[in-house]
Amino acid sequence: MTTFNFSLLTGDTGPLVKGTEPDRLHIPIHAHTPILAAGDQVLAGTKIATANQPGEGDLHAPMSGVIKAITPDYMRIAVNGDERADATKPPADLGELKQWLREQGVNVGNLNQASRLIINAVPPEPGITIYDPLLRDYRKTIELGVETIQRIASTSKMNLVAAKGNRANAFANCTVMHVAPTYPNGLDQLVIKAVTKEEVLLGAHHKDAVLLSVRDLYFIGRVMETGRPVTETVMTIGTQNHLVRIGTPVGFLAGEAGATVQPGDRLILGGLMRGMAALNLEQGVNKDTTGLQLVRDDESIKATDSPCLGCGECERHCPARIMPGMLSRCSEFKFFERAEKFHIHSCIECGICSYWCTSQRPILHYIRLAKYELALLRTATSNLPTDTQEETGQQTGESE
Amino acid sequence: MITKPLQPILTVSVPPHAHCGRTIKGYMSETLIALLPAAIMAIVAFGMGAMRVVALSCAVAVLTEAICNKLTKREQTLDDFSGLHTGLLFAFLLPASAPWWLVTMGAASSIIIGKMIFGGLGANPLSSPLIGWATCRISWGDAMDTNTTMLMSELPAPLQQLKYFGLDSVETIDSISLLLGKQLGGLGEVQIAALLAGGVFLLIRRHIRWEIPVAFIVGVAVTAWIYQLIDPTAYASPLFHLLTGGTIFGALFLATDPASTPVGPIPTILFGLMAGIMVIVIRVYGIYPDGVPFAILLANLFTPLLDRIRPKPFGGAYQLTQEPEDEALCEKC
Ligand code: SF4
Ligand code: SF4
Repeated sequence: MTTFNFSLLTGDTGPLVKGTEPDRLHIPIHAHTPILAAGDQVLAGTKIATANQPGEGDLHAPMSGVIKAITPDYMRIAVNGDERADATKPPADLGELKQWLREQGVNVGNLNQASRLIINAVPPEPGITIYDPLLRDYRKTIELGVETIQRIASTSKMNLVAAKGNRANAFANCTVMHVAPTYPNGLDQLVIKAVTKEEVLLGAHHKDAVLLSVRDLYFIGRVMETGRPVTETVMTIGTQNHLVRIGTPVGFLAGEAGATVQPGDRLILGGLMRGMAALNLEQGVNKDTTGLQLVRDDESIKATDSPCLGCGECERHCPARIMPGMLSRCSEFKFFERAEKFHIHSCIECGICSYWCTSQRPILHYIRLAKYELALLRTATSNLPTDTQEETGQQTGESE
Repeated sequence: MITKPLQPILTVSVPPHAHCGRTIKGYMSETLIALLPAAIMAIVAFGMGAMRVVALSCAVAVLTEAICNKLTKREQTLDDFSGLHTGLLFAFLLPASAPWWLVTMGAASSIIIGKMIFGGLGANPLSSPLIGWATCRISWGDAMDTNTTMLMSELPAPLQQLKYFGLDSVETIDSISLLLGKQLGGLGEVQIAALLAGGVFLLIRRHIRWEIPVAFIVGVAVTAWIYQLIDPTAYASPLFHLLTGGTIFGALFLATDPASTPVGPIPTILFGLMAGIMVIVIRVYGIYPDGVPFAILLANLFTPLLDRIRPKPFGGAYQLTQEPEDEALCEKC
């Protein structure tokens, strides 16, 4: 892993490549409730599941085919063509527009009323270059997205935040801001901070600003343009950026890219710092997937349960100015409440602590565990979605 | 289920999937490398006696750690070299004349009450080798005294001479010979030049940071200078204090122990200053000629307090409330 560095420079990227059509799709649905059953026919664009979380977008079939199976985790569709469902027209009414976007699969969770729109064009992680081709070749679509958001959130000011050294041409009435091209400057919290000087905790919204990435705006623009739902994601695979249908198995993508996956390797959905390792080659990509990376068995970090040395390497690099080592100890020994005293909620989950840990402790994972336990502890009576709700969702899915 | 074994079986792990490449073993072995020149110099200066003490101390430390791990049914951790590291640091504090039982007792207590009793590596609130040193110094003070046990040697014992015979007795000792380790004291701690070289290596390799050593040295120098200003005929110069006893060894290797020292820039600087000042205070008023070990132990005690000096966390302090703030979410349902 010696070649890895934190640079967010994208350099020259080629045009967006349209992915080859797979013959099966495994659409992740653990945050959604399926509304169809196995055996049903779907067209490209048919709604297949509704979101459990308010504000989250619904799911639609990316291609036409037959639903073969529904499990709590994914829906398998055997593809048999590209026949499309009818497009719908965006409603003129603003209130309905937001709801309509949501039904078209757009995440509208943070489209609150605000005076400022922040466009995040800083690559989220090293090696992810998806914003570059979008900004270059799809300006019209993005502009349409920007207009839509300006109407919904009634923003009057606009900032485009880009990494210094990467291409970023402003839109009309838009101030461009540059941040240093190093990870983690592309994380939403730090981009908000760069613009507004205010620090917003992970999971909270800024009172007076809406942050959307170039990619979000591109998809919103596309939905407005075509009247068809979001069924794709933009991912960096190797050095190229691809438009990939959600549910495309990672093994298929790896094969297309010419990589042979050996036993013990990791296929990472997203970037190396925050991405999720695929369970197997058949796992499908979802709407937020930004990249696919192959990490060979011998070059990957193996998390240990070694003790924390107290060396403070993690603390020196933590952008949230907290003590990751201490938090990981609290979590390790199940002192979750204590973790709160060490400001666990300030963590923006960048993973930098684990990158630097001398002990190679899975610090970020410990922190997430503690956050999860705290949420369970504090909101046991609330209606936050927990495992039980997911189970209900799954039951309805199966009974239908 | 997605979990049925499909070939090839992939590794599933938590992010991040990249790492800087540092390991405990790497840290320990590079620290050992940094100590090597001083160890060689010690053997050159004190002969086989030094070799015997070093070897015995390391062996006892490693063995004790293995036995502790066995008794407490923990995984064996010998391959991270941390036992060896503690053993070597402890040996550096001993006179080359130390009898075998003293070395054994000290090395064992460094490991047992300095480290394992608190939960092993990384959990020690005080510097482990210094615990062993303190145990020996308090229990068998005579055997630990370099001056009385090395009467045959022609080398000066600057700190003892300063304490018992006054400033005049050390005027003749020149700084260069002190720098080259021509003095009595802990066998490794007096190899000033070699230790400095090792410290620079650790700084370059970023295993230690500049804050603690620099603050420590500044603390020693400034305090010594103040005393000298008060009475130049009674108190030795800052340079003398820096080049004698364990000042450099303490600043570079003992006060930079990861577990027992604070982290942030302000806490580390305060920590270093505090330890440095205490060195001179103990050397001037204490009953022990060299104040370095006790000064560092004392500063270690302040680590939890110093660690409370923290910058404001990102987004301010926040507690998850019992009443979930769900209204914003529910509006949208
Ligand atoms: S993931 Fe680690 S480094 Fe990043 S904010 Fe959280 S504690 Fe700090
Ligand atoms: S980097 Fe790892 S070993 Fe060092 S303090 Fe942080 S968690 Fe502990």
